[in-house]
Amino acid sequence: MKTVINAVAAVLAVAVISFMLWRTPPPAWTDAEITVLRSLWLESLSALPAAPGNAVADSPAAALFGQKLFFDTRMSANGSISCATCHQPERRFTDGLQKGQAIGTSKRNTPSIVGTAHSPWLYWDGRRDSQWSQALSPLEDSSEHATDRTRVVRLIAQDENYRATYESLFGALPELAKADEPAVNTVFANVGKSIAAFERTIMPTTSRFDRFVAAVADGDVEAQALLFTDDEKWGLRIFIGAGNCTQCHNGPLFTNNEFHNTGVISFSGEVPDKGRVVGIKQLLTNEFNCLGQYSDDANQQCAELIFARTGVELIGAFRTPSLRNLEHTAPFMHKGQIATIAAVLRHYNEAPDAMIGHNEAQPLGLSARELRQLEAFLKTLAAPVARLPAMIGGD
Amino acid sequence: MHRVVLHCFIICLVSLIFLQTAQAHGGVVDEGDLCVIKVNYLRAHFKIYQPRVTGHEQFCEDLPVASESVFVMEYLHDSLSTMPIEFRIIRDVTGKGRFARLEDVENIDDIESATVFYQPPILEPDVYTVIHEFVEEGDFIGIVSARNLETGKVYAAVFPFEVGFTGWGYWPLFVGLLVLLQIQYLAMSGRLRRWFSKSSTTMAAVAICLLLLPPATFAADFVVTYSTPSGKPQINRMHSWILHIENESGAVVEGAIIDVTGGMPEHNHGLPTKPRITQELGGGDYKLEGMRFHMSGYWEIVVNITTETGKSTVIIALRI
Ligand code: HEC
Ligand code: HEC
Repeated sequence: MKTVINAVAAVLAVAVISFMLWRTPPPAWTDAEITVLRSLWLESLSALPAAPGNAVADSPAAALFGQKLFFDTRMSANGSISCATCHQPERRFTDGLQKGQAIGTSKRNTPSIVGTAHSPWLYWDGRRDSQWSQALSPLEDSSEHATDRTRVVRLIAQDENYRATYESLFGALPELAKADEPAVNTVFANVGKSIAAFERTIMPTTSRFDRFVAAVADGDVEAQALLFTDDEKWGLRIFIGAGNCTQCHNGPLFTNNEFHNTGVISFSGEVPDKGRVVGIKQLLTNEFNCLGQYSDDANQQCAELIFARTGVELIGAFRTPSLRNLEHTAPFMHKGQIATIAAVLRHYNEAPDAMIGHNEAQPLGLSARELRQLEAFLKTLAAPVARLPAMIGGD
Repeated sequence: MHRVVLHCFIICLVSLIFLQTAQAHGGVVDEGDLCVIKVNYLRAHFKIYQPRVTGHEQFCEDLPVASESVFVMEYLHDSLSTMPIEFRIIRDVTGKGRFARLEDVENIDDIESATVFYQPPILEPDVYTVIHEFVEEGDFIGIVSARNLETGKVYAAVFPFEVGFTGWGYWPLFVGLLVLLQIQYLAMSGRLRRWFSKSSTTMAAVAICLLLLPPATFAADFVVTYSTPSGKPQINRMHSWILHIENESGAVVEGAIIDVTGGMPEHNHGLPTKPRITQELGGGDYKLEGMRFHMSGYWEIVVNITTETGKSTVIIALRI
């Protein structure tokens, strides 16, 4: 009889202890952790980096012009495609599809534009090195706008408003009939520079996570408890700790804007995407790159481009995406291969060998519960979509 | 100890057997962890995936089902990246199955009609990939050829494989038998015992093993210190360093040729940039531009210094 009672007591004790552990609130943040939390805080976002290649980058008039161009469907082969066809403002400038869809199908997933002014590289493979040079590519991409530079220049020349705005920003338009290639390219580049001035204003907004960090910074325990559940706190702790996520997803935009191979599976019916190893070669030969004649950077500093890494290590590497607003950026990864956050986390937990190159992430061995907590945390990065700044007080 | 050496010995024997079969006909060889294709003397890491069915699982030759299959060759020999590579898959019409060789394939009269997949020669500087969706199971032969653009010489490899692969057949048995026979022979002849009884031989083996370990790269004859504009290296920011170099006796080192690499050894990757010395500032100072760290964690900066008196490597370890 005694042994039975003992056994029951033991089972009870184990049950109670595990229940308590289960419910354990996370311990208070250490100073080191608070430093990391602050580094992820939107308040810590540095001032916009200068864009020496774009003389009108910070001109409100150019931003307004750029915004009109961004939504203008006339800059396309069939008159129905604009940048906003794929980069939809209400979806945080993405489209919810695996791959961009316009005149044809893009090669990759449509990324958000938010915060890209902070990145030295554009595109998943970083094949452009400025917002302005990037904006030119979709216009001539046969599966996106499928138009060409001459037609774009003609549109600017023929639309009276555009012409006036253009000339007030950049000086007289060349006469089309006589314009040589560099003259056409200059106008084309200026179109990109105006669109970039608009894109530069698109920044993320404050999320619940940012309010939580504010409460942590203030030492306001009550506010912390109101803002984050225990699961979300545990999830955050995994994010900056055992999950190793901040190795790549760091800083207030949750990205280091660098290239990594994370072993994502190939897209159905395609060979694995080679990513950065090809992107850097394309960038080095792009006529609109930082070192090209259409850049306004008189000093041609171009440190990023000059010191850019090349080589086999970049096989299958892609630029780390921001993790803010994952609620709008699904499906995930460079070809939209993974549909849900839960599936992304399962992928990281296993960290399988990459099909090409080497997966830099290590298997995590997190439990199902820890993965749910991590997911709960990632969802706290959701935030309202920013209003389009150029429209404020605009026409 | 003896047992370890014995194992080494057996592994050597087994790999010798494998190497011999590989040399006999350029083809695909399963080298334990690594599956290698030999196009004559050119080697590449070879793997096949069926991503829709088995995800990230790698196959060396035989494939479980008829499905979308991705063939990958990661060059172990640089010259493959400068040669146009041609890839063909044919139904096995040689009747030789697993023993089909290049000669057998060359003797096929109408190779086109047997072909199920053909990728014309193409230069792939980084990694070679092709995709083919098998519609039926059966025996196939893969033919990879690479042409040296300078000499015009063509190198080829042939690898028979099965789609809808049901088992390993008698191959492991065959190899196992060979190994057993070999050990049996050695043991019978008393050679094994004689070999290992001489402890001097064992010592020699251990010494050789130790010699094979990578040599230490740390050299103490230069002292390298660095400074950065903001006091400490920053994350995600392009910045420059000043390297200061002194020799053992504390004299500054001038006129050195310096080459800088580095990376995160724990993550098996290098620096995100290609930094280099842009200016010698005098007094043992050198300006190092293009430094950027894109991850927090442990980094090593490897400074290779060449002076008139010799070469040396100094590693700067730092946590960011
Ligand atoms: C067909 C849909 C589509 C259209 C139209 C389109 N884009 Fe994109 N956009 C994409 C896709 C897909 C990518 C990613 C491609 C890649 O990385 O290879 C992308 C990438 C970008 C990026 C890089 C974001 C990052 O994080 O690297 C920016 C900026 C961008 N587009 C701006 C524009 C602008 C400006 C226009 C109009 C001139 C435009 N896009 C038109 C689909 C589209
Ligand atoms: C080695 C760097 C690295 C680490 C570590 C890392 N990531 Fe990523 N992450 C990336 C890269 C690169 C991509 C894009 C990969 C691709 O498209 O092939 C990505 C993509 C993602 C995406 C998809 C975002 C989108 O919009 O498509 C999510 C979500 C994500 N990571 C979450 C995490 C979490 C959570 C962790 C920690 C468990 C983590 N990552 C660790 C580099 C990293």
